[in-house]
Amino acid sequence: MKTASVKRQSSAVNDRIFKKDITIAVAGNPNSGKSTLINSIAGTRLQVGNWPGVTVEKRAAVIELEGRNIHLVDLPGVYSLSPYSQEEVISRDYLVNEKPDVIINVVDSTNLERNLYLTLQLIELEIPVVMALNIYDEAESKGYRFDLERLSSMLGVTVIPTTATKGTGIKALLTAAISAAENQHEYTPRPIAYGDDIERAVDVIVKKLNAEYPALMKIYPPRWLAMKLMEQDQSAIEQTGDDDSNRLIAEAVEHLRKAHGDDLEALLADARYAVAAGLTRETLTKPDIMKRELTEKIDSVVLNRFFGIPVFLAAMWIMFKLTFDVSQPFADWLESIFSGPLKRLTADAIAATGAPAWISSLATEGIIAGVGSVLVFVPVIFAMMFFITFLEGSGYMARAAFLMDRTMHSVGLHGKSFIPLLLGFGCNVPAIYATRTLENEKDKILTALLIPLTSCGARLPVYVVFVGAFFAEYAGIVLWSLYVMGIVLAILVGMIFKRTLFRREAPMFIMELPPYRMPSLKSLMIHTWEKGKHFLIKAGTYILAVSIIVWFLLNLPWGVENKKDSYMGQVGQVVAPVLEPLGFGSWEAGSSLIAGLVAKEIVVGTMGEIYVQKEEEEKKENPSLGEALTGIATSFGAAAVSASDNVFSTFGIASISAEESDEQVAEKTPLREELRRQFTPLSAYAFIAFVLLYMPCVVVGAAMRQEFGTWKWYGIAFAYQMALAWSVAFIIYQGGSLLGIGG
Amino acid sequence: MTLADLKPGQKGKIRKIGALGPMRRRLMDMGVIVGETLEVDKIAPLGDPIELRIKGYNLSLRRKEALEIQVEGV
Repeated sequence: MKTASVKRQSSAVNDRIFKKDITIAVAGNPNSGKSTLINSIAGTRLQVGNWPGVTVEKRAAVIELEGRNIHLVDLPGVYSLSPYSQEEVISRDYLVNEKPDVIINVVDSTNLERNLYLTLQLIELEIPVVMALNIYDEAESKGYRFDLERLSSMLGVTVIPTTATKGTGIKALLTAAISAAENQHEYTPRPIAYGDDIERAVDVIVKKLNAEYPALMKIYPPRWLAMKLMEQDQSAIEQTGDDDSNRLIAEAVEHLRKAHGDDLEALLADARYAVAAGLTRETLTKPDIMKRELTEKIDSVVLNRFFGIPVFLAAMWIMFKLTFDVSQPFADWLESIFSGPLKRLTADAIAATGAPAWISSLATEGIIAGVGSVLVFVPVIFAMMFFITFLEGSGYMARAAFLMDRTMHSVGLHGKSFIPLLLGFGCNVPAIYATRTLENEKDKILTALLIPLTSCGARLPVYVVFVGAFFAEYAGIVLWSLYVMGIVLAILVGMIFKRTLFRREAPMFIMELPPYRMPSLKSLMIHTWEKGKHFLIKAGTYILAVSIIVWFLLNLPWGVENKKDSYMGQVGQVVAPVLEPLGFGSWEAGSSLIAGLVAKEIVVGTMGEIYVQKEEEEKKENPSLGEALTGIATSFGAAAVSASDNVFSTFGIASISAEESDEQVAEKTPLREELRRQFTPLSAYAFIAFVLLYMPCVVVGAAMRQEFGTWKWYGIAFAYQMALAWSVAFIIYQGGSLLGIGG
Repeated sequence: MTLADLKPGQKGKIRKIGALGPMRRRLMDMGVIVGETLEVDKIAPLGDPIELRIKGYNLSLRRKEALEIQVEGV
């Protein structure tokens, strides 16, 4: 009995010892279905952030399986482990320094050879590799036949066929990965033989490294480091030093140089591809006759010389309409809750406690309005993320880049910059998030810096008020001129930035056009949810803070009666002289512009408050809590109906909204009367041009901070746009005055 | 002859890659290596970039990049 219980105890101890945490790194080519595979394992447990110091997204999750914690780390999609692209450097640094217990290598089984090129490099890192032969259903339906055992034994890794979109094979994959991690000591890496010439050189270098750099050999797999030194890999050379690396390899590669020339990098790439081709030949049988694939059929239309661009523009128009028209009713609904029932109920509740009026005002005008202004962005971010993920997952994003690259490249941008810039006309915030579709950091940041020049929907109310007051007869032309001004300046600024801030970057457009695939609904939902959630938590905090600060500026010092004496008014008076040469050097204009930091449409609201005496608020009978809740529910229903109406009207001829805005333009309001006294047509035009161009709102700033991990780029956007807005308004006003227009 | 000289439907065998540094490495990593056969599939409606088939998948390159790749007719 005694021994038995001791045994049980010790086996329990053993269990605990063996059930330690396991770290699994997931690596694979772009378009290999890697992210769908991770989604199907981890679902909403994924934590999304950035890799330290870069704009590359890092996704990781901890899942519990059989009583142990499994840390999943999704490495960026890469084709190779060379030292040139950020993604590749991140992947290899992670693998070499963090030494995960096992690598799951996701491989597109419809494109085996090119995917194996990465597999071979992963195996060289001497970390156990388990291969997920993904998109297996598509390969099977194409008639591909794999000799899985042979592939597994030739590579020395476990191979599991998977179809991540359907969840097939995922369980077996995890089991295999855990078993590989547990039996580390049994893992016998089977180095791929690159031919005698190369192997001889590798052996010599490994021997020298072992003798001279024992410390380095504890970090790096010897064979891998030897090959990297042969490739003249800069970051490997840094480990040994320039002279040493030359000395180390010179002798060893002499025979290679004699036989193949100096380009050892190409020699190794050739050797790897030769092995990958050999493996593919031995383990994959393709049908003799390949039928014309769906992808080819679709591409013959969407990339067609004549139809390609019209089809693309139509698709973009539909996406744009759907993103903003579907989300708008929900945004309006949220807005109505925050400005209606919620505000009222809070005010009532605070009044009931007998707290002073300023607390009520801070709670309703500061906090609730601030939270509201964060929330109204959520529907549009959800909608945009959904469409962007769909475009990317389906393979159309690469086509969009292919079609637009000529145009975008002439301005120093990448073909993929087009869609984020287009979205900017709806709202700059989701547009900033959409820059993640660009792979290159330089392209991403340059695009983000230009997005604020696309005139977003929030600027329209400002234009409408001024155009209504001054240019009602030429409303169309004046509005159009503002949009064109934004585009032209974006082109000019883009060219300047390309030659200054990003001068040293070598632009490349070497891009795979992946086959069209239907993204899984689960993946779409997860990506959409991740972004929406992140925006709420991360960006929301900053936006709320700024809203509250603006409230204090408007309401301090205590008991301020006249807005002119509030801190905001005082700041307005300070900036007024700076705006003087632009034709609107009044504290009112200055204060309104500063308030626009929260969101540009606030400029109108603030002007209303400052210029026009506050009209008596309509005294309605306050509905009870129950009634308020019913009202919220009913209006949500109405929002949903309205959103679906908009989906249909996107495809029909919907001119109602245009008529509405015409009415808005023609409307006569007290604010417009007052503006006519304060501005001349010339200074009015200078003012709306200034509103178009000046600092991006704080929500854009929060989005940039979130995407790029630093406030630096928002700072740059803020500074250059202020300078640009001032110069343009100056030229308009002073130039116009000289010409005697509208004086 | 360079890759940029090929018309849609024409095939070529890669003879030499003139690009240097990151571009060269990237091309090689994508399977654009000497001795490989490729076929130009399409040219974008605005004349640039081009799409080609290599190693059983589709790759697009700018004309400027294609100029660095010397090919011989097949």
